[in-house]
Amino acid sequence: MKRGSHRWKWILVSPALLVLILAASGPLLIVAVYSFLSPGNMGGVAWDFSTDAWFRVFFKRDIFEPEIVTLNADHLAVFQRTIWLSLQTTVICAALGFPTAWFIATRPANRRMVWLFLITVPFWTNLLIRTFAIQEMIRNTGTLNTALLWLGVIAEPIEMMYSDFAVLLGMSYVFLPLMVLPLYAAMDKLDFRLVEAGYDLYASRMQVLRHVILPLVKPGFIAGSILVFIPSIGAYVTPRVLGGGRSMMMGNLIGLQFGQGRNWPLGSALAMVLLVIVVVALVFYLRITTRETVGRDGQS
Amino acid sequence: MPQPITAEKTKCLERKCRRRSTNGKGDAPLTEGDGQNGNEIEIESVSKVFGQGATAFHALTGIDLTIRTGEFFTLLGPSGCGKTTLLRVIAGFEYPTSGHLRIKGQDVVGQAPNRRLVNTVFQNYALFPHMTVAQNIGFGLKMLGRPRAEIEATTDEMMRLVKMEAMATRKPAELSGGQQQRVALARALAPRPRVLLLDEPLSALDLKLRKEMQTELKRLQVETGITFVFVTHDQEEALTMSDRLAVMSQGRILQLGSPHEIYHAPTERFVADFIGETNFLTLKVVAVQVRGADLALPGGQSVPARIAEGVKPAAGETVSAVIRPEQARIVAADTGDLPATVEEAVFFGTDTHIHLTLTDGQPFTVRRQNSDGQADPAKGTRVGLSLTPGALQVLRG
Repeated sequence: MKRGSHRWKWILVSPALLVLILAASGPLLIVAVYSFLSPGNMGGVAWDFSTDAWFRVFFKRDIFEPEIVTLNADHLAVFQRTIWLSLQTTVICAALGFPTAWFIATRPANRRMVWLFLITVPFWTNLLIRTFAIQEMIRNTGTLNTALLWLGVIAEPIEMMYSDFAVLLGMSYVFLPLMVLPLYAAMDKLDFRLVEAGYDLYASRMQVLRHVILPLVKPGFIAGSILVFIPSIGAYVTPRVLGGGRSMMMGNLIGLQFGQGRNWPLGSALAMVLLVIVVVALVFYLRITTRETVGRDGQS
Repeated sequence: MPQPITAEKTKCLERKCRRRSTNGKGDAPLTEGDGQNGNEIEIESVSKVFGQGATAFHALTGIDLTIRTGEFFTLLGPSGCGKTTLLRVIAGFEYPTSGHLRIKGQDVVGQAPNRRLVNTVFQNYALFPHMTVAQNIGFGLKMLGRPRAEIEATTDEMMRLVKMEAMATRKPAELSGGQQQRVALARALAPRPRVLLLDEPLSALDLKLRKEMQTELKRLQVETGITFVFVTHDQEEALTMSDRLAVMSQGRILQLGSPHEIYHAPTERFVADFIGETNFLTLKVVAVQVRGADLALPGGQSVPARIAEGVKPAAGETVSAVIRPEQARIVAADTGDLPATVEEAVFFGTDTHIHLTLTDGQPFTVRRQNSDGQADPAKGTRVGLSLTPGALQVLRG
């Protein structure tokens, strides 16, 4: 290869590299640096090196006797809730998304686009508005409780707001299309003659689902799970509106440190923990997909 | 000639089937039938309509067909003639709009494909891409809940049968078209179905491989004794492989018979035209005989001809008749059955097609084998034509 062409290549990719460095790595680097600084008096940071923020992510000192160190149970509870709610959201989206995607994929070709369009309609509305709509439905004097009271099914309103349930409901609703679309894409590629071949070889409906359909749409499940799990981990608006202070997730905890808490280094350290959780989850998913790709090498 | 199912016979079969299904084994797949009547599949006035109203498409119209146990039966026709639909009706992927379908005497209309003792070799093989060759072949037995040892033994046996032992752990994507074809065959044969349905299984292969697989398929059919129902649009494939075949067009069966009958005694213009090359002649009936008619040849004498079943020509009427190009010989002028003039001789290697014109202007082609290296007749030469006795066939309509 000529040396000149090599130089040209670098010149041509440099704008993209610049954007990547400035837009992606830059802020991340700032957050990483901030997590090792001290909090400023009026927010912001003071340029004194400190590992205090990282210490406070996991531990806390007794107010009166600073030598007594205990695990920060509040933070750990938020981590645990965040991971647990995100996993549940992913499973719920997969359970609801599979039949939905199957329904769309088995419609006549000209009508599939209409159904896909309907699935994406909620994306056009502001997330906050949609979350408030969910709130309107489930709050004590909301649509659902009013209807149930009027019908006499319940005597007192069921308390649903500011709970894990409310957050789960909201996140499943918001992220469902992100599961349906990749699942649909996988099913759209599915050769329905394979389903017929399954029936022909004495498989029942459940057996065809288990041995033929599910293994073949697995890539869709993996893509959908990544698309749902990762934004769930970092969710802010939905747990804020529907979970309040009682069902807080990591996004809210981080937000709090940059706002009322005025502890930017702690917020930054928490953000780094969130990043680590996402990376670990991604590596785990990628392992599965890589194994899958090696197994199905050359196929399609 | 095929035997049409009479009403009495049908009733008798229905009664038999009811009695058999009361013993509880009636619908158990893969049990040996009683084998008393030689009919594997009985199809009775089956119709299939897709869509409704003005857009309705009649894929099958009044199909009556009996497929005998252990025969290699072929459905032959151009694309869109309904042959694949008929195969899908037998497999259970489509339910007929009306009519009856019995497999081994048992009415299977409304029965799901996984309850039928038939297996299909799909046109594009439809091998499971996420399974190995061995897993693909063992799938049917696994779904039937057979013990692992039996599945493994049968899978090994099937792989030997189709010569794929070395490929057991490969995925379908790592196989060539011919290998995939053999795996598809083994997969369909492994559960030992009563009937194997083959939907244009050779159409995706190149010519050499196709010839190989034709022999292979025929060998497997003879070795296993399983009834094969084979769908193809390739007339040569149909003629070489089948015990009997049905020629289909526009959702109907036009003619049913042995390859010999279909080739030499076509009853419909479509059949004669679709299979092989044919001379169509418009001739006048001179006299009607008990099993045939004498037809007047233009400028020549009258010769006896066979008549398609159900055709009753009257003397003096004009009829359509066919004769294959190899059933006429060129002889010296003023001898033979009728005179003709040479238009063109086309050399094909093994044989030469000589295009001629009869005295009334009708075209006629003679196929001459090039075994003795004789010279092609020049254009404009007057010759005589000698027809093989009994080769002339009067068509329906």
